[in-house]
Amino acid sequence: MDEIKNLPNFRPNKTPVKKTVKEVIYYVVGIVLSLIFILPILYMLATSTKSESAYAESVGTLSMFLPDFANLGIAFDNYKSVLVNYDIWKYALNSFIYAAIVIVLNILINGLAGYAMAKLTFPGKKLLSFMIIFLIVVPVETSIIPLYSIVKIMLGLKQEMSVIGVILPAAISIFNIFLFMQFFQNIPKEYEEAARMDGANTLDVFFKVIMPLSKPILATVAVFCFIGVWNDYLWPSMILPAADDGSWSLLPIQTALITIKSIEGITTGEIMASLVITSIPIFVTYVAAQKYIVQGFGTSGLKM
Amino acid sequence: MTNTSLIILGLFICAFCGFAVYDLATAKRHKEVYRAKSSITAYLMLLPSVALAFLFILLPILYSLGYAFTDYYLLKPNEIGFVFLDNFAELFKEISEKGMLYNAIINTVTFVVGVVPLQIGLALLLALFVNRPCFGSKIFKVCFFAPVVISLSVTAFLWEQILAPGEGGLLNAMLGMFGVPPHDWLRDPNTAMPCIIVLSAWQGCGYQMLIFLSGLSNIRKDLYEAAALDGANGWHKFWNVTWVGLRSTFVYILITVFIGACRILTQPMLMTGYMSHTVTLSYYMYNLGYTERWVGESSAVALLMTIFIGGVTLIQRRMFREK
Repeated sequence: MDEIKNLPNFRPNKTPVKKTVKEVIYYVVGIVLSLIFILPILYMLATSTKSESAYAESVGTLSMFLPDFANLGIAFDNYKSVLVNYDIWKYALNSFIYAAIVIVLNILINGLAGYAMAKLTFPGKKLLSFMIIFLIVVPVETSIIPLYSIVKIMLGLKQEMSVIGVILPAAISIFNIFLFMQFFQNIPKEYEEAARMDGANTLDVFFKVIMPLSKPILATVAVFCFIGVWNDYLWPSMILPAADDGSWSLLPIQTALITIKSIEGITTGEIMASLVITSIPIFVTYVAAQKYIVQGFGTSGLKM
Repeated sequence: MTNTSLIILGLFICAFCGFAVYDLATAKRHKEVYRAKSSITAYLMLLPSVALAFLFILLPILYSLGYAFTDYYLLKPNEIGFVFLDNFAELFKEISEKGMLYNAIINTVTFVVGVVPLQIGLALLLALFVNRPCFGSKIFKVCFFAPVVISLSVTAFLWEQILAPGEGGLLNAMLGMFGVPPHDWLRDPNTAMPCIIVLSAWQGCGYQMLIFLSGLSNIRKDLYEAAALDGANGWHKFWNVTWVGLRSTFVYILITVFIGACRILTQPMLMTGYMSHTVTLSYYMYNLGYTERWVGESSAVALLMTIFIGGVTLIQRRMFREK
């Protein structure tokens, strides 16, 4: 024991008191930091349950961050009113439909391409793999105006067609092709060879052997697609016509928020309720798909 | 425009065929075996993605390059004239006259310089803070990550309410408890950009925290023990083990946060509108090309921005390259 003590860096076990003090400091700092991050969200949640007068009363006191306990009966009135009067459920449904179509197309189109690039040999492959690397590096967002004019010319001026303009550009993602490529390259050849011995063709191999083996990457791509489509507001606001008459609007939820916010006579509570409703699906996605989101970091960026 | 697109498509197909023929010709040397059936299957599998990528990614990039040298006005697509460098001359004139573009550049630089260190530093500190196995750290992690879940546009709307002028805004109300008079945070040129920087870092840093955490989990524990045996103190351990282990994660985060910050658009667009003290480069470009319909000049801004972002990214990569 003495020998160890004489080593330069040996520290005897800290006394319990010192350790407790350290723990307490850790928790105090943690709670203060957490409050900074969580208070605005608490404010959003609390305000969404309040009527305009209750909100005005609470401003400047701590009850800004607490729901209106006196009138818990009407806590969901704001939600009812944004859902029924402002049709927010229709916009949410639009977003879900866009997201569902984009996820299916994205996985199919980019998955097939990733498979061909990873596992098949064909003349001209070098050009395509060079283009994949090149297009990943070039920042695409700066070309949004030319993209707008291309899509407008392609679709003409028909309003119903503009839905295609929302979905199709989101269905292609060079980055997802790259992700699929990397994943498929690591699947051992033996699986495919076994299937080919049984007389399967390439498409059979892709759908019956490769796809079932690729559930983690499918989930990652699907989750990121969903979040991407749900959170996008700029592109739909450019390409989709604004809701005017009583017909079913095509706007997704984030774009519609801009319109909803400027409705005359909308209360702060109602705005907050629509913000909460907009956030719920993403919240559920993050909770349900944590594993795949973290995996996404591991497989994608860090190998750049 | 349709004709130009067809010409580009033709050039693309020619280039592809050229490469394909080259591959076939050198197949023997590279010991590649190309089978007709397998190649055709591959082409069919690639067709949808190549078609979409051509239309929605490659063409816009090429057009953006080309339009930068024309006087394209969105409503007159048939009267495009080649103006050589006039757009750029116009832009530099606007910068030298301290017009809107000058403000846009200043604001974007302010934002990037403010948000990149703040967001990355905060993310690293939070990651180190929650990177210990105890019950509380998990709860803290969830709290720090919560703003990421409410998206950027929701954040913009929420903070617009928080920073609202007068007694009604949350921040003014909270400061009012300590006797500070209310302030119009987003209309005051001195506080608008700092507010946007803080709320952006608040919203985004949870995401980078998770990436740092996954980087931290890849550092081997025995390295710390080895460092302790060598007599390293806490700071040495951080600098020589943690920091070295996080290097590639850090470069990745630096590049992605930097590019994201250069593109800032949502926050000023939704919170203040087109104002000289919050306009940013992306917003200027969008406003010029979409609202005012001067696609040509807008593309010139886009081209300069792309060159700038690409250049800085390359420098960052080179500076932090693994040794």
